[in-house]
Amino acid sequence: MFFPLFFKECRQIAKSLVYYLYLIILVLFLTSQLSDGDWSDRLTEPKPGQESYGFKESEDETLIMESTLAELVRETDWNSYATYPFMFYKEVTLNDSELAEIEQILFECTGKSFEQLLDEMDAHFSGYDQSTMEGAPISGQTFLVEPAEDLTFEEFQNAMKRVCGIIGKGSAFEPEKLTASEPKTYEDALEDYRALCEKDKVTGAYMRLFCDYAGIMLVILPIFLGATRCLRDKRADAQQVIYARAASSLQVVGSRYLANLFMAFLPVVLIAFLLQSPYLYLARTNGVAPDVFAFLKYSVGWLLPTLMVTLALSFVLTELIGNVFAVILQVFWSFACIALETSLVGEFGFHLEPRWNTVGNTQSFFAQLGQLAINRLFYLLLAILLFGLTVLIFDRKRKGGVFWHGKNSKSRG
Amino acid sequence: MERIVRAGVSFLKSSYIPHLLFTFLFCLASGGLMSFRNLDEGQAAQVMEMYVTFAGILLLTPLFLPEGNREIWQLEKSKEMPMWQLYLPRVLTALVVMAALVSIFPLIMKQGGGTFDYGRLWLGAFVEMLFLGSIGFAVSAITNQTVLGYMLAVIYYAVNMGGGKYLGKFALFQMMKGSYGFIVPMAVSACVLMVGSVLLRER
Repeated sequence: MFFPLFFKECRQIAKSLVYYLYLIILVLFLTSQLSDGDWSDRLTEPKPGQESYGFKESEDETLIMESTLAELVRETDWNSYATYPFMFYKEVTLNDSELAEIEQILFECTGKSFEQLLDEMDAHFSGYDQSTMEGAPISGQTFLVEPAEDLTFEEFQNAMKRVCGIIGKGSAFEPEKLTASEPKTYEDALEDYRALCEKDKVTGAYMRLFCDYAGIMLVILPIFLGATRCLRDKRADAQQVIYARAASSLQVVGSRYLANLFMAFLPVVLIAFLLQSPYLYLARTNGVAPDVFAFLKYSVGWLLPTLMVTLALSFVLTELIGNVFAVILQVFWSFACIALETSLVGEFGFHLEPRWNTVGNTQSFFAQLGQLAINRLFYLLLAILLFGLTVLIFDRKRKGGVFWHGKNSKSRG
Repeated sequence: MERIVRAGVSFLKSSYIPHLLFTFLFCLASGGLMSFRNLDEGQAAQVMEMYVTFAGILLLTPLFLPEGNREIWQLEKSKEMPMWQLYLPRVLTALVVMAALVSIFPLIMKQGGGTFDYGRLWLGAFVEMLFLGSIGFAVSAITNQTVLGYMLAVIYYAVNMGGGKYLGKFALFQMMKGSYGFIVPMAVSACVLMVGSVLLRER
């Protein structure tokens, strides 16, 4: 009974306009985001004596204080503070008294007046050509402001908390977000390169970037697939006919869910395979043995739980609410999930869509792999739970009860 | 006239109130997500364009919900009253609510010390909201599937968040960059989309 239902559902999905829109949007989005980049330069072994090997994150407290104070001086000069309170980049502008407070905090942290700090900043930037692509970012990253000699890191963090109290949430000055970059050495760059070749085997690094972008779409697009399927019975007035069938609720809902999952996931795997292909060739050309199955490993391990949860939630909400309102609720949930990402690279936590918006950083990825595994397992279990709920709700409705104001009651008609 | 009003009230009671309530909650939530203090022209535009205009999707897309059931649609068509008279009070209700939202938010921003041209912001935000909502409206009307309407409208919004550089005058978030040249093309397109989709639907 199950497999005939499953194939029938797949055929129905293949005739659905929503499914073709899903495919078109998925393909257009992924190809537009991933076709512009050329990361072949990452496969070049670094040489000693290069001018720059890039930057890496530093945990040096003095460097963090210097870097953060520098950023605070710059943003205060512009009276424009970058914050990310949920999804949108939001620029905060302060009034005169708030600016005066910030300048006082800067004085307490550095022992210098704001005018002195501005002079130092001007002197620093005048040494770089701001009009070049290299000049602007390097000058920004190397501008540092020396803290006062007797300033401890704890005092500094408290000062930054006061800054956050003035600017608002989501700024770069929140104590848990304080960070600094320091230039990589030749040894750092060589280690990264070897990790890229030996651990990632090149294709793994690229597939992480693919998963980053594909995940964004898989948090949103499957909502419409799931809702359409659950509402189809109602639109066709076929609910009573379906309910009267011999197939169990588990078989009916299971075949629908798995058919949607299969049809939604298949194009993702195919696109991953196609986009990986050039990097197989690139790796072999550089004498590196690529991981041929990286596209499958990352698609299944990284993207599948996201897709499963999105579909399952769509099923359970639509089955419960019974109309398109479920779509809107879930769209906001999805946007909120994306908005609450604290980092574009790593820090997976329990985010629905793990982000890795870079190619490489292999060592950092493998250091966080355990966290990612827990995250993905959590969402896999959540998807199964939501699917189970959907079966229960469907079964309850089938037996003649409906949900109304949270209470189960028999239908009156 | 009385029949038109009755049709509008009936739609409100049977289908539209949850959507209005949700839009109201959506607007209330803005206080926790955005700052309304000391905003200049670009920052005020950001609030309107990236947040408030989304209400256009919430208000215009579900206007054909009752007709999702073909039997209801056919019953309505069999009546003497032309279908456009049935849809008119729905659209007018949505437009009034949209106008109210676009009026209230800039007032709150002005209270917070904002410095911007109220009239220009009002017009730009209303047109953008109307255009975004008209996408969902048109798709719902033509396909008779409200889910599809939401899908395309939401995706259009999401694409614009990613850049929208290929959309020219029809790109969202132009006021943030100081450009107001989109107003006429978007207003005309929204009207064409809404009127055209109803005409196509009722053929």
